[in-house]
Amino acid sequence: MKPTVIAMENVTLHFPKLSSLLSMVTGVFKKKDNKFTALRAVTLEVKAGEVFGLIGKNGSGKSTILRVMSGIYPPDEGSCYVTGKVSLLAGLGTGFSQHQTGVENAMLYGSILGHNESEMTEKLPEILEFSELGDFIHEPIRTYSAGMKARLGLAVASAIKPDILLIDEVLGVGDPQFKEKSKTRILNLVEQTGTVVIVSHSFGLMKDICDRVGVVHKGKLVMVAHTRVKR
Amino acid sequence: MSGENIVEVGLKPPLFKAPIYTLREVLQNKFLIRNLVVREIRGKYRNALLGYTWTFIEPALLAIVYYFLFYMLAGNPDELYAMWVLIGIIIWGCFGRSLQASVSSLTRNKNTIHLVYFPRIVFPMTAVMGNIVTTLMSCVVVFPIMMIFNLPLTIYALLIPASVFLAGFLATGIGVMLAPLNCIYRDIEHLIRFIVRAGFFVSPVMWTYEMALERGMFGEAAVYNPMLTPITLARHGLEGHATTLPSSVIGLCIGFGILTWLIGSYVFEKYERRAVKYL
Repeated sequence: MKPTVIAMENVTLHFPKLSSLLSMVTGVFKKKDNKFTALRAVTLEVKAGEVFGLIGKNGSGKSTILRVMSGIYPPDEGSCYVTGKVSLLAGLGTGFSQHQTGVENAMLYGSILGHNESEMTEKLPEILEFSELGDFIHEPIRTYSAGMKARLGLAVASAIKPDILLIDEVLGVGDPQFKEKSKTRILNLVEQTGTVVIVSHSFGLMKDICDRVGVVHKGKLVMVAHTRVKR
Repeated sequence: MSGENIVEVGLKPPLFKAPIYTLREVLQNKFLIRNLVVREIRGKYRNALLGYTWTFIEPALLAIVYYFLFYMLAGNPDELYAMWVLIGIIIWGCFGRSLQASVSSLTRNKNTIHLVYFPRIVFPMTAVMGNIVTTLMSCVVVFPIMMIFNLPLTIYALLIPASVFLAGFLATGIGVMLAPLNCIYRDIEHLIRFIVRAGFFVSPVMWTYEMALERGMFGEAAVYNPMLTPITLARHGLEGHATTLPSSVIGLCIGFGILTWLIGSYVFEKYERRAVKYL
């Protein structure tokens, strides 16, 4: 029996709704719900070495579950325990600075993702090579195309080696050729990391790589099932 | 569950330790903070022909304007008056911009906050440090001025950078305290902008500590303004002599800074997580 590395127990998460001064005054007279419940009593266990997929409609709470795991939104009720270093891959290139070069942005994004200086200096050559940017790497990012930026973002993001990897729809950037390359890279990362929780709308991919898949609907984890019948 | 390093997500050390452990978090993330500070400074002076020189052109131009304004209102100011105003504008600007930037730091970085987690104290600290760095760059302007006025360059010139740090420090506590609140109600940001403008006149930017002392009552009241200390220290440093400020006034200022940091870091750690949900 493999150990559990992520344990969510009855996690409920509310988002407050902001009321204006006027509605505050009128709100005294009529009682209304002033919060939005994003997650309702989600209980979920992920074992070491497992690839867990989350599917569901837009706005169902898949990404929110990942954000709870990564610590962006700690649960309002219930608890979430994790073992080891967690890294969330979402929105490639968060915090890119338009006026700095590719190299500077690689360092910046790497530090945002939680790397220290020595790790980044060590990984930089590999990142630059993977991004296939050539001499552009010393140009300011504002001269890049959207695909080039995405490539740089993916190159940095996939250079991490966390214990638990959370992936939120970061597949499928760039041209078809790079898309294939990035898919391979992410799959490699998934293989090396061991424990992965992945959110994706790409059903085929989920079927291929996930051991178990959970279905999220309106903030509830309604179903969890194995993708393959155990032999 | 097995393994030794099981961590509950979002669990924080006891809140009374906030003033200390937030500082530790800042130290642990120094590579990140340095990169973010560079990003902020680069962004500010992008596509400018004069680039970083704007850090000192701006206060210099303002000082000229205020010199003529004062000349028209009061007539015949001290020959060092323009210099006093200049250093006043620089130090006050450091405080004002640090305060505004740190208060709005969480709201400005909401895209990052939604997508990655790292200790959020990094955001207001980056905002303050960025302004301290640009202010230090603008302090270069004082060297030619000291030559023009034949002021001696002494060891006391170190009071100038020291007061820049002090001004930034004073802004940190308040900024950290108000940043989470600003996520919920952006009114804070607007209010702070007004306070910074009004504070410009209440603080010794266009007037000096010595002028205030001549006014009796007014001078006694002015001493309770924490910003009096950094501005006056910088002026004395520029004139090249030890400060004549009583140590009780300096103590009051530093005490104010420490107190706001204690309260501010506590408030920040207590409300930051609830506040980012409003972003």
